[in-house]
Amino acid sequence: MTTPTPTPTPSARDLAVAAPANRANAPFEGPQVQDRRSGGRGGALAGKALLRVGPVAVPFRWRAVVVAVVLLVLLLAAVVVSLSLGTPYVAPVDVLRSLSGAGTPYDLVVRDLRLPRAVLAALAGAAFGVAGTLIQSVARNPLASPDVIGVTQGAGLAATIALTSGAAAVLVAPAALLGGLAAAVLVFALGARHGLAAQRFVLAGVAVAFAFRALIEVVMLTADPIDGLRAQLWLIGTLAGKGWTEAAWIAGTLAVLLPVLLWAGWALRGSALDDDTARGIGLRPVARRIGLAGTGVLAAAAVTAQVGAVDFVALVAPQVARRLVRAERPPMLCAALLGALLLVLADLAGRRLFAPTQLPAGVLTAAIGGPYLIFVLLRTRGRRS
Amino acid sequence: MTALLSTRDLVVGYEGRTVLDGLELDLPADAFTVVVGPNACGKSTVLRTMARLLTPRRGAVLLDGAQIRDLPTRDVARRLGVLPQSPLVPEGITVADLVGRGRQPYQRWWRQWSAEDGRAVDEAMRLADVTALADRAVDTLSGGQRQRVWIAMTLAQDTDALLLDEPTTFLDLAHQVEVLDLLHRLRVERGRTVVAVLHDLNQAARYADHLVAMRDGAVVAAGPPREILDAGLVRDVFGLDCVVVPCPVTGAPLVVPARTQTSAAPPARTHSSAAPAGTPAPAGAPVGDA
Repeated sequence: MTTPTPTPTPSARDLAVAAPANRANAPFEGPQVQDRRSGGRGGALAGKALLRVGPVAVPFRWRAVVVAVVLLVLLLAAVVVSLSLGTPYVAPVDVLRSLSGAGTPYDLVVRDLRLPRAVLAALAGAAFGVAGTLIQSVARNPLASPDVIGVTQGAGLAATIALTSGAAAVLVAPAALLGGLAAAVLVFALGARHGLAAQRFVLAGVAVAFAFRALIEVVMLTADPIDGLRAQLWLIGTLAGKGWTEAAWIAGTLAVLLPVLLWAGWALRGSALDDDTARGIGLRPVARRIGLAGTGVLAAAAVTAQVGAVDFVALVAPQVARRLVRAERPPMLCAALLGALLLVLADLAGRRLFAPTQLPAGVLTAAIGGPYLIFVLLRTRGRRS
Repeated sequence: MTALLSTRDLVVGYEGRTVLDGLELDLPADAFTVVVGPNACGKSTVLRTMARLLTPRRGAVLLDGAQIRDLPTRDVARRLGVLPQSPLVPEGITVADLVGRGRQPYQRWWRQWSAEDGRAVDEAMRLADVTALADRAVDTLSGGQRQRVWIAMTLAQDTDALLLDEPTTFLDLAHQVEVLDLLHRLRVERGRTVVAVLHDLNQAARYADHLVAMRDGAVVAAGPPREILDAGLVRDVFGLDCVVVPCPVTGAPLVVPARTQTSAAPPARTHSSAAPAGTPAPAGAPVGDA
């Protein structure tokens, strides 16, 4: 045996010339979906199909599409049920008629009292799902969520100060937004020295979270007990008494972030690689992390400012979505839909379980999401190894 | 020879420690270059700096004569593939998916896949012999299979040059040879420039067209192994006395450590005594590098 002998195989460049470029040069005839098996392309697309619209080509998993559609149907069903249950009970048929503008005796209950809150729950849940996906991907930690990296506590501290200092009620949400962002800036500054590396990002976040939590306690203990109680309720997070205004703020934030989210959905793909590998394939991992984490923090702070710390959704939705889709990282769209579904159900349960006493949605998200996450974890482990 | 990668007056350090101080190095195009040297001699640092994974304090890395730090990282990624020492496997990712990541420098967020991508990925998987594993999760593979998958990812980048940081570490002997054979084929059949940091002097001597021996952040010798590798060089670089004999299989220089204090003294375990000079040592035996 000497050094290995060459075998006569055509080179990559020969193949590139020889292979027919049939698909690439085909005239554009509307969206095309290419299955992985077509064109004899073997496993190159890694079990994905390809959506082509003109110059746009996006690989996707059929499984993710199916999961997203199922989640969307479940979400719509949950909203209808949420609009239907309560005192008075409105039959789902009447809910649908009322929503379609047919004019029913239930318009006030369905459209003015229940719809705003259900829409708010869906939007807030979706925003938490997006925020959780982004933060967990940057932190490379399934336990990371807005309250682990201090955003919730920053918002909470500012809201607590606003609620206990007699400031106008309209100032609470803006104050909470600024507080959340200020905490995030602090975490970024502390984590920046090592390029916002996952470990340091989480550590900085945990430190900031604990410091702010201590300050919240100080403010609450020194405040009037009634104000302290209001602050406590805010901190748990509730949708009671909230509606279109809060929903509009969250929808506005998501709309503004939408172009960034489209980029993020693509950029997340490289987030699971280590920095050296990422640089090797031409990525700039630090800039990406700052962009992704910044987007996640903005979404988290915006939604927390409106509905309080209902952030268990942000922890559980990305992880459950990831396991449903069976992807190597949380899928953003499915996480958003799942977050919306979870929060709508949690708010419904909070309204109805002990009616007329209302439980804050923040309590119920943990009660519903926790066991489900455990169930999914156990099931996944049983199948894979 | 034409230099594909060069360093000029390169100064690199971590925290307070300077690892490379004014390094001048030229790596030839269309050759398999192997960088060897004792631990902490700066060989990985050179490779990582040339791969733009480390930013030098001073000096320049030249890719085809152009300063690499002035080139967009995406453009560099189309010309230079990099395999870091122990890359992190994303949990649950499939082989085909990971190899597909090598197409990153050719993709945009609106055009995330092209027919050319599919072709390059298929070709890379075939070359690295991982096509049969395409749908497997990378974290369920053996070390040797996993390393071939990573090499396939850098091959999918379709670059002229490949830089690999200790690609055989943590592999058993058979898998080491498998990986080195693959790199050799890339160089001979595909005309790729391959640069690797290796621990094993004998493997370096067997596979390298161009050997770079480093010590304390400086190049001690550089050239074809058959011309530069002798007992004097091993002593200079590793501080180890040895005998260099022709390899019975390839004729390349084979480094056999001479009797040392420990192996000459009555040993507790008989098999640890050094083989007599002239007898070939097993190819994978650690040579002069503790």
